[in-house]
Amino acid sequence: MAEALTPHLPALLWGIPLLPMLAAAAIAFLPNARGRIASKLALGALGLSCVLALLAAACTLTPGEDGPFRLSTVVDWFTFGSTRLQVGVLLDPMTAAMIAMVTFVALWIFIYSTGYMADEKRFGRFFGFLSLFCGAMLMVVLANSLLLLFVAWELVGLASYLLIGFYFEKPSAAAAAQKAFITTRVGDMAFFLGMIWLYRQTGTLLFYDGGDGLLESGALASLAGTTTLGGLTVSAAAALLLLVGAMGKSGQVPLHTWLPDAMEGPTPVSALIHAATMVAAGVFLVARVHPIFANGGDVTTALTATAWIGGITALYAALVAVAQYDFKRILAYSTVSQLGFMMVALGTGGVGAAMFHLIAHAFFKALLFLSAGSVIHGCHGEQDIRKMGGLSKPLRRTFLAYSIGMMALAGFPFLFSGFWSKEAILHSAEIWPGGKGPFALAVAAALLTAFYMTRQALLVFFGKPRQPGVEHPHESPSVMLVPLYVLAAGAVLLSIIATPFWPWFEKWLHGEVAHFHGGAFGEHGAIFLLILSLALVTVGVGAGWAVYRRVSNDSGAPDPLSGKLGPLWRFLENAMGFDALYQKAIIGPLARLASLIDALERGLMVPLMAAGETVLKAFGRLTGAGDERGLNAGFDGACSGLKRRAAGASRAQAGRIQPYLRTIGLGVAVLLVLYLWL
Amino acid sequence: MISLLILAPLILLAALGAVWKARPVHAALLLALTLSLGGALYIALGAGFLGLVQFMVYVGAVAVLIVFALLITRPRDETEEIARRPKSVLPGLLCTLPLVAVLLYAVGRNVAEPAAEAKELPIERIGELLFTTHAPAVLAVAVLLTAVMLGAALFAREPKSFGVRRLASALGATEELGSPQSADKPAPAFQNPPTTK
Amino acid sequence: MNPLAILLTLSAVLFALGLFAVLTRRNAILVLVGIELMLNAANLNFIGFWRYGPPDPQLTGPMFVLFGIAIAAAEAAVGLAIILMVFRHTRSTDLNAPDSLHG
Repeated sequence: MAEALTPHLPALLWGIPLLPMLAAAAIAFLPNARGRIASKLALGALGLSCVLALLAAACTLTPGEDGPFRLSTVVDWFTFGSTRLQVGVLLDPMTAAMIAMVTFVALWIFIYSTGYMADEKRFGRFFGFLSLFCGAMLMVVLANSLLLLFVAWELVGLASYLLIGFYFEKPSAAAAAQKAFITTRVGDMAFFLGMIWLYRQTGTLLFYDGGDGLLESGALASLAGTTTLGGLTVSAAAALLLLVGAMGKSGQVPLHTWLPDAMEGPTPVSALIHAATMVAAGVFLVARVHPIFANGGDVTTALTATAWIGGITALYAALVAVAQYDFKRILAYSTVSQLGFMMVALGTGGVGAAMFHLIAHAFFKALLFLSAGSVIHGCHGEQDIRKMGGLSKPLRRTFLAYSIGMMALAGFPFLFSGFWSKEAILHSAEIWPGGKGPFALAVAAALLTAFYMTRQALLVFFGKPRQPGVEHPHESPSVMLVPLYVLAAGAVLLSIIATPFWPWFEKWLHGEVAHFHGGAFGEHGAIFLLILSLALVTVGVGAGWAVYRRVSNDSGAPDPLSGKLGPLWRFLENAMGFDALYQKAIIGPLARLASLIDALERGLMVPLMAAGETVLKAFGRLTGAGDERGLNAGFDGACSGLKRRAAGASRAQAGRIQPYLRTIGLGVAVLLVLYLWL
Repeated sequence: MISLLILAPLILLAALGAVWKARPVHAALLLALTLSLGGALYIALGAGFLGLVQFMVYVGAVAVLIVFALLITRPRDETEEIARRPKSVLPGLLCTLPLVAVLLYAVGRNVAEPAAEAKELPIERIGELLFTTHAPAVLAVAVLLTAVMLGAALFAREPKSFGVRRLASALGATEELGSPQSADKPAPAFQNPPTTK
Repeated sequence: MNPLAILLTLSAVLFALGLFAVLTRRNAILVLVGIELMLNAANLNFIGFWRYGPPDPQLTGPMFVLFGIAIAAAEAAVGLAIILMVFRHTRSTDLNAPDSLHG
């Protein structure tokens, strides 16, 4: 069947992102009262593109002649003179894995949303935004050109802005949306610069173009052959810029601050952002352009930077997650931490490990968020884990699903995909010739992950209900539970394809055929890693159990650790003060600069705009009035004149269109005169 | 050439009037005159088809539309009509005169003596191009005009009419179009001209 | 006399007159009149270059004018509709009357 499909593949591939986007466009024209139709439209479009994605993925199972299956198309977008901007779609095993994951996970999140958002007034609008979000993410994944990827990347940013700020009546949601948009914009700027630089150096932005693409040998050689500032090669410099872009999207330190705040959106949006659509984009970008990062060996500047940033992020977020009380915020920091793991894997050359962790993480993190949503739904909107406790009885099904996700995230051995993916990442970090730093950071983060997940599980589901706490928690409807079961099954079953005994996923990415290999643990000191992982989980969970086994039933009681850690606890609770730092170091000065400019504009520009002569006259009268500060007869007249002038000057800034137009016109006229003159 | 020499000053005079006349209706009528003289100029230059299009679209539709709009929005007191603020004339001149200077300078420097042979615009060729090379553009313009028609109808019609409100909400417009706030100030779209008699 | 130069001069002056109207007229409808004049000036250039330029089987200039006229008609219709809507709120067509967005 795969052979029969191949000729139609390009059209099918375009259909995968375009179907959800078209659904979003159609929903935009539906009135809000037609929300049910909107949700069906969104589900139908996404379901169809899920089918297409699975078909496309099936086509990639047969490897190409040399290396993995790869199909790339090139279309001229537009042409100026001899410069052509080209876009296209690309299908290889990495893309196939991503489109299958995104459409599948998102589909279940959509289904869940129909239950979770059932009472929402802007129900239809919500599904429109969700569809746009998924369509844009699919376009990111399928793009065969950095340019198209960037366009879709920005669309992802837009959709996340709309969704995080979905409850825009809440000031905190509106602020979180802006924060997400602006913070990721910092990264996007770097991404854009890197893209321009790559284009200037190689003359193409296509990834694969029959030998002329960016990721093929010719362009890579040209990138490595030119050096720039500080002796960096262009490929290293451009890769660093792209890395900053990926850091913004994937919430790496120091651009991570938006991700925990993004919790302000509805819970299915959090699940989507954290699992399938938004943060995966950054990791995917680095994985996609990995040949540029690795242009020059296993330990290039860009790779080292990636590994270290990943390691620091992983440890930082795991530390902060220990000291949080908000159910979703803990999960948010755990996402940041897990993304750090993926970056470590990418930096240390384990693209396969990173991609597998990305996909496994998508399943269990979506599962965790949806369970969190189910808990919050059942607790009437309460998110503070101090007020929960003992929920395993009333929310038994949610608890079961949650515990699978929790064990996958914490890295419980053997059964769960998270264990194997983390194992692969640690392996790749351990054998990396560039140093053991990222490995050590990742090990510490893995230990903490087991600890804070145990803490969360114990505080929420075990013990006795706390007082004052949640009254009458109730289980969610089955439309919300079924997606949990499906994702839980995925989180478990995925581990089959990526154990060291049968590394099917890794081989698939490289276009090789996997064979069962029972002795895999004997190689490369893998047995050491296995024991290490087991020890990490045991210690982490054990410590969590020891500390949080008996938490008092009083929901106002402080955390058992906060007394022991003292100021350190508060430091962690405040996420190590990044927000305060940005407030002081960036936003404060910017605000002061803005008010200075405002003062300058009001004090200086306004009179200028009211035309020079008005200013001079007013100034003359002002000094005149200053000279004759007595009871002069001319004083009153001068004052009223001044008042009139000032009123005229303030009118120039009164938001009226024509004075503005005239000002612009004057500016253009000055430029024209200069042009004539020069 | 002769017709150009005759028409050019006429067009300029009419345009000057359209820009300068204080009474809006006069200005609008002078605009219609400018545009029809422009159409005549197109015909004289050999682009008869475009001249006719200009007559039909500009003079027949746009200018008439403008005159209607002026009639609808006539203030109750004719003396309220102030054509322009005297203070804006100087900045306006400051903006436009350098523009004219630069344009004329560019014209004077760069324009070579053209070939003098006469040309006639081939209408068959226009039709052919419209339905081959420019077919996407024609479709786009068609969509645009449809959207404009709907949009203009939505904007300009009585907000309280039930059908329009349904349509507006269907197109995603917010409640402002028929909100209670605008309901306390009932404002008919087509206000009767003031009865000064 | 160079006929192309005359046409271009005419178009330059027409454009400037239109701009002047846009910058100084108070009545929004008359601002629209200025915009129409500017569009016409541009169209005149296209026709002039077609008429006095090298032969062009693609008729780029006239096609441009044709589409330009269609777009201008759309623009006038929307513009007037907006002006009418503003008029309904402020009872005025003064372009500077709607200033409720000023800071």
